[in-house]
Amino acid sequence: MNITCTTEKLKNAVSLAERMTGKALTLPTLHAILLTASGNTIKVRATNLTLGIEIEIPATIVEEGTVLIKGEVLSSVCNHLSDASEVRLTLDNDNLTIQTPQHKTVIKCLPADEFPTLPTVEGEQIELKTSVLQEGIRSVYFCAAMTDIKPEIASIFIYSEENSLNFVATDSFRLAEKKIPVKGIAEISKILIPYKNIADILRVLDVAPDTVRITYSRNQIALFANGLYLTSRLIDGGFPQYQLIIPKEALTKVVMLKQELLNTLRLSTIFADKFFQVTFAIPEDKKSITISSKNSDVGSSVSTVDAAIEGNPIEVEFNLKYFLDVFQALSGDSVAVSFTQPNKPIVIQSVNDASFLYLLMPANR
Amino acid sequence: MLKWRKNLYDTFMDSNLTQLWNTCLGVIESQLTKATFNTWFRNTGISKEEDGVIYIGVPNEFVREWLVTKYQKLILKTIVENLSHIRAIEFVISSLPTPTVSEKNLFSTASQTSALPLQNVFINRDDNLNPRYTFDRFVVGPFNELAYAAAQAIVKRPQHAFNPLFIYGASGMGKTHLIQAIGNEIKKDSPEKRVLYTTLEKFMNEYVISVQNNRQQIFQDKYRKFDILIIDDIQFIAGKEGTQNALFHIFNTLYEQNKHIILSSDKHPNHIIGLEDRLKTRFNAGMTLDIQEPDLESRLAIIKEKTYQTPYPIDAEVITYIASAVTGSIRELEGVLNMIAMHSEMKQKAIGLTDVKLLIKNSVKPKRTISIDSVVKTVSEYYNLDERVIYEKTRRKEIVRARQIIMFVLREDFNESYPSIGAKLGGKDHTTVIHSYEKIKSELSNDPHLMKELEDIRILFK
Repeated sequence: MNITCTTEKLKNAVSLAERMTGKALTLPTLHAILLTASGNTIKVRATNLTLGIEIEIPATIVEEGTVLIKGEVLSSVCNHLSDASEVRLTLDNDNLTIQTPQHKTVIKCLPADEFPTLPTVEGEQIELKTSVLQEGIRSVYFCAAMTDIKPEIASIFIYSEENSLNFVATDSFRLAEKKIPVKGIAEISKILIPYKNIADILRVLDVAPDTVRITYSRNQIALFANGLYLTSRLIDGGFPQYQLIIPKEALTKVVMLKQELLNTLRLSTIFADKFFQVTFAIPEDKKSITISSKNSDVGSSVSTVDAAIEGNPIEVEFNLKYFLDVFQALSGDSVAVSFTQPNKPIVIQSVNDASFLYLLMPANR
Repeated sequence: MLKWRKNLYDTFMDSNLTQLWNTCLGVIESQLTKATFNTWFRNTGISKEEDGVIYIGVPNEFVREWLVTKYQKLILKTIVENLSHIRAIEFVISSLPTPTVSEKNLFSTASQTSALPLQNVFINRDDNLNPRYTFDRFVVGPFNELAYAAAQAIVKRPQHAFNPLFIYGASGMGKTHLIQAIGNEIKKDSPEKRVLYTTLEKFMNEYVISVQNNRQQIFQDKYRKFDILIIDDIQFIAGKEGTQNALFHIFNTLYEQNKHIILSSDKHPNHIIGLEDRLKTRFNAGMTLDIQEPDLESRLAIIKEKTYQTPYPIDAEVITYIASAVTGSIRELEGVLNMIAMHSEMKQKAIGLTDVKLLIKNSVKPKRTISIDSVVKTVSEYYNLDERVIYEKTRRKEIVRARQIIMFVLREDFNESYPSIGAKLGGKDHTTVIHSYEKIKSELSNDPHLMKELEDIRILFK
């Protein structure tokens, strides 16, 4: 192998690929990154056997070839190269030489024929705006369960309805749903992306162009964008029919300013007990709500938040952490919280934005 | 021998195949490094053997891809050395049984928050099957054993026996449970088969939307790709011409490709009024079976099955009482049991016979009564007569016949007295009624046509 390419492109590709090497796996081959030079591109490939990535970058190729290098070493070396220059890679027996005007490093290689090929996915094909995927995933992924035992909820559920693409995640205590309008969306009955792969997928979406092509089957999804191929395992299971548990009507509806509520909740956190319990109560005059927390070791706090209230007075307890989580996904200035019977989930939404919905179960008394 | 090999697949594979795979793994292991072997062959197993093809279950696409590219020849060679009639191997992705840990342990840190009631709404979106409907929980009795046997035959050899299977019976007899269990069982045995359960209503809605958006082709293609198509409550198709037409074409395509179609309805296909003949004949082409009302013994068995896990066990005498008092559909039975469970929970103890009697006072259906007029209406409609002519004093043969049958049905099925039947049907003497009744009764024993007609009429009253 004997090639030249821009340092910046190689650097970006290697740093993206390095995150997806199988560092936790026992097989040393999978800790590595495969570089394949052919035609006028060089392909950078890595996989951890739940995710796989292949990035194509343009290069001037004098001699084609394949080389497998430890991911950590390669990415550390690349990080120290300056962006402006070009870099030359040459393979001599088992040694890869990386050369720029300033540096020359020689890295020992691994046998390349043991490195796996990435699965190709046959199935439904769709094209989607990158921003839709990013927004949808970011709005809900914090709710996914972090468990190995129930893979179907340790994942993000994506499906389509008439003219909308919906994203859902739940850990069975709270649930977030984001519906993004997409005109004429193809039918997607179910895509369940494992939670563990989400961070890496978001990272790839960050560098992807405006639209991405997606192919998915029951077990696997692939994403194509601009010389980039990302493939991830999918969960082959059923997501709960959560629509049935969304309360249809509210007995009490409270509208508050988002920032004010957030500040109050943060204050309450200081005095939360070990279960992060916080109490919401509506006094008889129905002009504000009181939020109180108490910790026998630290002290206690009671705050009032001005609110527009419709319906009956209530008193409910929540896990503060679950409540605070929702703020990252709420848009707008004001937030509406709807209560039904005790022991039924409450609904949190931003006023004027019906596309996002958060269900939260009250705490046990 | 590595430990994981023992426990993961053993429960699923038949022991010969387990042994075969362990032998193969032994050979393969000796040719690879330990890390390579563990990475690629961990959690693999033979899921089945069919027509000389061995299906090897692998945990995901990444492993499949690499086994196909790199190790297919080696695996096939090792298998053939042990089992010479094997021609090929296929890799299928099979999700392994997840370790069972009780949910309480799982969420112990957050124990102060109760869980969303999600487990009650668990339905697989891929195929719409509710995993709770399995054969393990299906009670078989004389009332449904034929249907059950047919279902079992399909599960053993899907796409061969009894295509289409048409199950009919009154509401709440377990039709949905049975047809969903077929789907669930087939999926368990052969995860690669594409199964879809849908109700006619959903099917129709999708069809209507596809027409609105001019996407009929997509709709047709979607249904044509399933190996097993299960449609519930098909009777609602009556009179919907567009939907019938769509179903007709899907049916034909699937049938020609030997894909299995399973249907349920509350009536025999021949009695679904407004169903096109071409569909009737197709629905009847495979196996048409009914599920009757459960008999007393079956009801006992059902109650036991449904209550064996309740925190407050129900007394044997209470069970017997419920079984004898609540006749009719299994759904009603479930309702009563739920009510009892709720009351036990409220009182924090099992409730006794007297309480149960009080509780189900309202749920016990009064004996079926029906007005004479409606019998006249139904029967005359069946014979295509104007119902008014029944009451008239005419002796036209076809009318006399219908009138006699009405009298017979009123007496035999609804226990009306002879004089009241006579009075109602145009002031006939009660002896006339007795004569008609006896006449039909004696004819019934040697006229199969009449018997068939009467059967049809009785179905109309259900």
